[in-house]
Amino acid sequence: MLYLIIGIIGTIIIGFIVSLWLPGIERKFVHARIQQRIGPPISSPGIMAPIKFFFKQSIRPYSPLPRLYNSLPLVGLLSALLILLFIIPETYPIGALASIVAIVGFLKIEEIVYVFMGSLSKSVMSLRMPFPDLAKGAKHPNVQRSFLEDISAMRAFRLIAFGSFPIYIALFVPAIISRSIFLGDIVAYQQVHGPILFSAAGVLAAIVFFIGYMILLNEYPFVILKTKADVIEGPYLEYAAKSRAFVYITRGFLMFTLAALFSVLFLGIPPNIFTWGILVNVIIAVIFPILMASLSAFAPIFTFKQFYPVTLATSILGVVALLAAFI
Amino acid sequence: MDKNVIETEITMGTVHSAAIEPYRVRLFVEDEIVKDAEITVGVNHRGVERIMEGLPVEKANSLTEKICGICSGVHLWNSVLVAEKGLEIEIPERASYIRIIVAELERIHSHLLYLAHGNEVLGHETFSMRLFYIRETVMELLRMIGGNRVQYGVPIIGGIRPRAELDEMKIQKIREGLDYLEEKIKEFADRFTSDPMIMSRITGVCPIKREDALRLAVTGPTLRATGVEFDQRRKMECYDPFEFDIITQDDGDIKSNLLVRVFEIFESIKIIRQAVENLPNGAIVDRSWEMQDTDIIKSYVEAPRGTLYHSYAIEEGRVRNVVIRTPSIANIGAMQYAVIGHHITDAQLGIVQCDPCFTCTDRAIEIIK
Repeated sequence: MLYLIIGIIGTIIIGFIVSLWLPGIERKFVHARIQQRIGPPISSPGIMAPIKFFFKQSIRPYSPLPRLYNSLPLVGLLSALLILLFIIPETYPIGALASIVAIVGFLKIEEIVYVFMGSLSKSVMSLRMPFPDLAKGAKHPNVQRSFLEDISAMRAFRLIAFGSFPIYIALFVPAIISRSIFLGDIVAYQQVHGPILFSAAGVLAAIVFFIGYMILLNEYPFVILKTKADVIEGPYLEYAAKSRAFVYITRGFLMFTLAALFSVLFLGIPPNIFTWGILVNVIIAVIFPILMASLSAFAPIFTFKQFYPVTLATSILGVVALLAAFI
Repeated sequence: MDKNVIETEITMGTVHSAAIEPYRVRLFVEDEIVKDAEITVGVNHRGVERIMEGLPVEKANSLTEKICGICSGVHLWNSVLVAEKGLEIEIPERASYIRIIVAELERIHSHLLYLAHGNEVLGHETFSMRLFYIRETVMELLRMIGGNRVQYGVPIIGGIRPRAELDEMKIQKIREGLDYLEEKIKEFADRFTSDPMIMSRITGVCPIKREDALRLAVTGPTLRATGVEFDQRRKMECYDPFEFDIITQDDGDIKSNLLVRVFEIFESIKIIRQAVENLPNGAIVDRSWEMQDTDIIKSYVEAPRGTLYHSYAIEEGRVRNVVIRTPSIANIGAMQYAVIGHHITDAQLGIVQCDPCFTCTDRAIEIIK
């Protein structure tokens, strides 16, 4: 029992420590290098920034439900934590929660959190003047005002509807190949038959998974949820101090968790501190942000006009992978 | 427009991450599609004209350089031209050539800033960073000539400041700088136009039709991007010795606006090369003029953003009735027009495509009691 508890807690701690460095690796070694600038210190985006925010003065957001609003980053972190928890082999006996369906559910929580964040935030960034602008002819003086975060909430809702298709399709490819939705079975299958990644369906699904990973992390070019050009930070706009620190930590942690999930589903190597397999998880957790940053550094923001076809094409690729998995 | 069809208003600014200057845009949207737009400036009014009133001409001229942080030189140049026209001063040919070198370098740095900012709003930070990196060469050349990166203060009444005289070493540095710029901007243009993701974002987005551009009195590269072949430089005598093309594009969309400015950089390089190779010998300033009273004198020059207007009268050596009209004020109408029917994310890009410089546009205020 002690061995089991140490295994779970140790793996989560390792994941947490690695995740703190990932944003720094992404920004210092990839973005900054490509953009021919020095970039931030490697510890700055993932470690020093959250520490700094933890000690900043907290502000009360202009939100109808400020406590709920401030707690949402924690909910996001918790969902990422639960995914990591149930892909650790010690939790496989729990069964239902250590399955693809449960992971889809946890990922959905992470996605829907953005809708709530956007809906509950009412920042001053979209305040209008207290009087109509007569010099400009005061066009449409009585139109209902919307907030920038409202737009991001609507976008988050749209992303739930179509943006996350690729990653969910990719998740089910290993399930079809191994004929089981349980992670224990998927890992066991790969230990006998070799990694799913080395099959045709596995390669296609891995590509689809990676694009889904970028969409889920709202990384360029799939950053419509919080594009600087209009909604600025989108759902995160009013997060300050501790809440902002949790936003940063959650993103880094989700990067590690999704990489570990990939390792489980496509390589059959779950995160476990008692085996050398944890190193594979760490390596993938580092490779994914590097690949992601390399792609994002050369891409503009996609509006829905570009987002829809890319998601459709990726989903079709995912369906091809599913069909290949059946064959 | 029927007011009933508009569902909501999205207000951006006066402080916004996509805006490098303070301005306010109200977008009237329906399902994230802009149905109408209203851009308001006015938070950066400094009353430069009012401060200039009654100042000695030289002092007033130097104040015009503070109007804009991007095209400071062209403001000073135009203000000096007003005095020179009024006082009927013929400046030495060498001074005219050096003024043109500085003005064209300024155009290059302004266009590079435009391209970098456009890429930033487009979300392409890598291109944006690289363009700023390339722009450094121009900034350093301007610093070499004028002693300052932003306010180089080259023109004075009767010619140019002695500090801005070009010796052989400086000319050689300008030649080397132009070679570097030409190579790097060609590389950028090739990569930019061959990127399908970028082309998908900018082609056919926020277009301004030629007839609407004329109706809205659009000026500068934004007008030329709609296919209208008008450049104030063609009407300026000092540009007569130089051979250059007026760059136009047909579509008036974001792509056309970006490309017009890219090609104009090559034309500016061409002009500077001609000026450097044929730089006349002789004096750089004529100090033999005498101050006298003048009527209101008008002067137009082609600033990086379009036609810039300055006018004032001189009374007892002091300026009176100063009026300055910057190109961006003419282009605000086009910005409001261009974004209609497009997605909110494209709207900021649609505004930026007109190369707004709202801080120098803040020239008048209306006090509502």
